[in-house]
Amino acid sequence: MAHTAEHSLEIDTKEAWNGGVSPFKISYGKMMMWFFLISDALTFGGLLVSYGFIRHKYAEVWPKAENVFTHFPFVEQHLPLAYVGLMTFILIMSSVTMVLAVEAGKRMDRRGVTIWMFWTIVGGLAFVLSQCWEWFHFIVGTETGAMRNIWHPELNKYVLENWTGANMRYNEYGVPQFANYFFFITGFHGTHVFSGVVINFVIFLNVLRGTYERRGHYEMIEKVGLYWHFVDLVWVFVFTFFYLL
Amino acid sequence: MEFQDNYPSYETMYNHDDNYGKKARRTLWNVFWVMLAITVFELVIGFMAPSKGWSGSTWLKVLFIGLTIAKAAAIVWWFMHLGHEVKFLKYIILMPYIVFMLYTIFIILTEGTYSGTSGKFTQSDPIFAKQQLELKNKHHGGAGHEAGAAHGEEAHH
Repeated sequence: MAHTAEHSLEIDTKEAWNGGVSPFKISYGKMMMWFFLISDALTFGGLLVSYGFIRHKYAEVWPKAENVFTHFPFVEQHLPLAYVGLMTFILIMSSVTMVLAVEAGKRMDRRGVTIWMFWTIVGGLAFVLSQCWEWFHFIVGTETGAMRNIWHPELNKYVLENWTGANMRYNEYGVPQFANYFFFITGFHGTHVFSGVVINFVIFLNVLRGTYERRGHYEMIEKVGLYWHFVDLVWVFVFTFFYLL
Repeated sequence: MEFQDNYPSYETMYNHDDNYGKKARRTLWNVFWVMLAITVFELVIGFMAPSKGWSGSTWLKVLFIGLTIAKAAAIVWWFMHLGHEVKFLKYIILMPYIVFMLYTIFIILTEGTYSGTSGKFTQSDPIFAKQQLELKNKHHGGAGHEAGAAHGEEAHH
């Protein structure tokens, strides 16, 4: 039954709006996933617009990404933006494996779905760990640091002293807002990636148990696929606005 | 017009055969290679920008944002399969979002102008401004380079 190409089946437009069938030719679950993604995209859109606003306001003292993100694992040299390029590659790659899992699901190819889902999860985990590494270096900072006015509660005043690394109040790279937005937006995105990995893993277990084989279709892969591609989509924007511009 | 309920469910309607799958896979890989090429191109340009003096120029920003939107469109169109959905569904997904984001950008560009001129940060953050001023003075007036990125320079002094 699965190998008959029924995707071309057309429902007459007039009939489609009479009730009983979806005029959008889409199931409830996928529709709701799209609606969720729109609302989530609005959240990210709002965050990035506000980032642009603050960045423009502090344009003169806003740090340049190539001076901040210069580390690469196991390499002593300064390699600006190389690691984030690799992270982007990993995420785009895992998006491709996801869409290949979706495609395999449409052919009811359980083996294909298993393999591609597995690689998608591996890619997602690699990305989350890369982000941890990136955060670690951002928080620890460089050896030199920079002079900052640090608040001393016991003295009840600010004292100019050397500061290395970053937290929500001070960072050696530039304005505090730079670290705030970096932590918040990449953190929010990282949370999405992490929950995506968890969801993918649950679906992967279902694939192994043959749940969708029995159900007669692998639409669940499509739904988690939509979410996973959305995570990739957001990263494309975060990558541009934080690292390239 | 008679009501029918003998259509296959939407889930199984989306199943396809091996031939169609082969074509679909070729398209997806092509999209991937194009996206990879765009990303590598962006990184190369971004890497060259500081030495060539392109950093912060308008054409570079427009180029990067344009390429980003192109990549985003590719993801939505092919990976998320929106390109193959019913026309009405495309509109219902894309239109509210595009309209709302254009409105947000419009409002930030018009109503945000009170703080839009850079250099006015002194009003909102006197401590940081003082700090930056001190840093700039330390670097002989700071002509030609940003104080915010000063930590990179300090290693050489």
